[in-house]
Amino acid sequence: MRRIIDVSIITGALLGLGGVLLVYLGNPANSGICVSCFIENIAGALQLHKNIRMSYLRPELIGFVLGSTLMATKTRRFRVRGGSAPVIRFFMGFFLIVGCTVFIGCPIKMFLRLSAGDLTAIAATVGLVFGVWVGVRYIKGGFALPRDEELPRINGFVIPLFTFLLLVFLFLNPSFIKAGQKGPAAWHAPLPISLLIGLAIGAFAQKSGLCITGGVRNFLLVRERTLLNGVITAFLVALIFSILLGQFRWGMNAQPASHLSHGWTFLAMALVGFVSILIDGCPFRQLIKAGQGDVDAGVTTLGMLVGGGLVYVWVLGSTSAGPTFQGKIAVLIGMIFAAVVAMAFRKKKGGSQSLKLKATQL
Amino acid sequence: MLFPLLKGQGYHGEQIVDWLDKLSIAAIAGLTLITVGMLANQEMITRRHDNAEGVAKGGEDSYALQMEMDKKIYEEVVSLKEQGHYPEAMAKLETIIKKYPENSLSYVYLAQLYLEQGELRETIHNYRRAVEMEADYVDERTPLFIGNEIKKLVTEGREKFSREKALKPKDKEVRKALKDVYYLQSRLAGGCE
Repeated sequence: MRRIIDVSIITGALLGLGGVLLVYLGNPANSGICVSCFIENIAGALQLHKNIRMSYLRPELIGFVLGSTLMATKTRRFRVRGGSAPVIRFFMGFFLIVGCTVFIGCPIKMFLRLSAGDLTAIAATVGLVFGVWVGVRYIKGGFALPRDEELPRINGFVIPLFTFLLLVFLFLNPSFIKAGQKGPAAWHAPLPISLLIGLAIGAFAQKSGLCITGGVRNFLLVRERTLLNGVITAFLVALIFSILLGQFRWGMNAQPASHLSHGWTFLAMALVGFVSILIDGCPFRQLIKAGQGDVDAGVTTLGMLVGGGLVYVWVLGSTSAGPTFQGKIAVLIGMIFAAVVAMAFRKKKGGSQSLKLKATQL
Repeated sequence: MLFPLLKGQGYHGEQIVDWLDKLSIAAIAGLTLITVGMLANQEMITRRHDNAEGVAKGGEDSYALQMEMDKKIYEEVVSLKEQGHYPEAMAKLETIIKKYPENSLSYVYLAQLYLEQGELRETIHNYRRAVEMEADYVDERTPLFIGNEIKKLVTEGREKFSREKALKPKDKEVRKALKDVYYLQSRLAGGCE
């Protein structure tokens, strides 16, 4: 037990330190690590959208997946399982990115923004915790997606191999892969450092099972603090290094890549929290699970990638001016979709009996 | 690590390597080599000779072309501005905005004209419209960058409008002006957007 706690805290520390260090070395402000922003970058690099300012194959995400694969293979925890509501998981992945893009950041970036003094992330934190709490209520109320099952091993290698292909593209730089020379895409830490940090975080996250929403969920559900300690460590380490490296700017206004529509920030991150509980993991955790052979998480990752493209094509993402109308509508649709799924997969006590009764009445 | 996947390992874990497996492995290896070779040949050579220079030069060329076109469009506005005929310059700009609604430079000139007339609120508002349309104005890696000029103004604007807000907390115009200031400051701060 003690060892698991240590790994979780080490992962948290790596996440916090990596997030701040990558900004210091060239990543966009407050975006040292952001799964949703980086997924959008990768979608742009693959030409799933045409915003060249957001097109770059981020090595950090490649590192997360491959680090997880290497660690899982080494520790014999590469287990190929899947087949649990794949289409639903795909759309959940899409809505995860919608929620993140309306807030402008994933749960990791949320605490990185908070640790850099961005007070607009408070509404996001409250929203995320609220979303997790709603998800936990559904779990307590009998929600569970169908059980996954063991699949032939080749299934588990598809996402890691696809990620490895992206790594090859990153080094070969073929012309069909776009890399923006301006905007956030042009802001990046040196490739080897980004990749190494990604690999290290991916490997430790696989070992510890660290998940931002998972930490909150475990605490709310059974008062278990292992993962939450990792999350808190990540925040504290990021806070300390933000101050030390001069990245700390306290305030609500004029923060990089942020807006003042707190209500929509709350709702967007509530959507992320809720969806993350339903599919068992935040966007970061989905990548790590996809790397360790979880085919369902791989499907979610593909949903996130498509989402990363469509949020630009459909102009769902927020700017400093606030969320767009389309973005607000997409968050609401996401909430409806998640609630319908949560209700549809509830196994209520006596449910089968009452259904039988209704059937005989018909 | 991957080899067991190619050896016909079925659901029950039996290791069967028959002639079809051997043929498949040979074909996969051959196809992989051909693909990698073709990619390397096409991409490495093309990139070295055309792309690497082309992308960078292409970017600069498009900026130069746009600037040349803009010079012609705004020639009269610049001339009127230099002579101090601000109302005439603004009238000309209104015509240009109707004709070229997507050209963000109109709002930069509009902002500069308002600044010449001491209208800080309108200056900042028009810079905001320009930045909303063209993010390169606050991107120091592009030739369009005017971030330092905007930064100076928003710093001045923040102090001025914060004071005004303290005096008139319910004034909608002051709050709108402060929102413009915060927007521009957020864009100047960078981040993933």
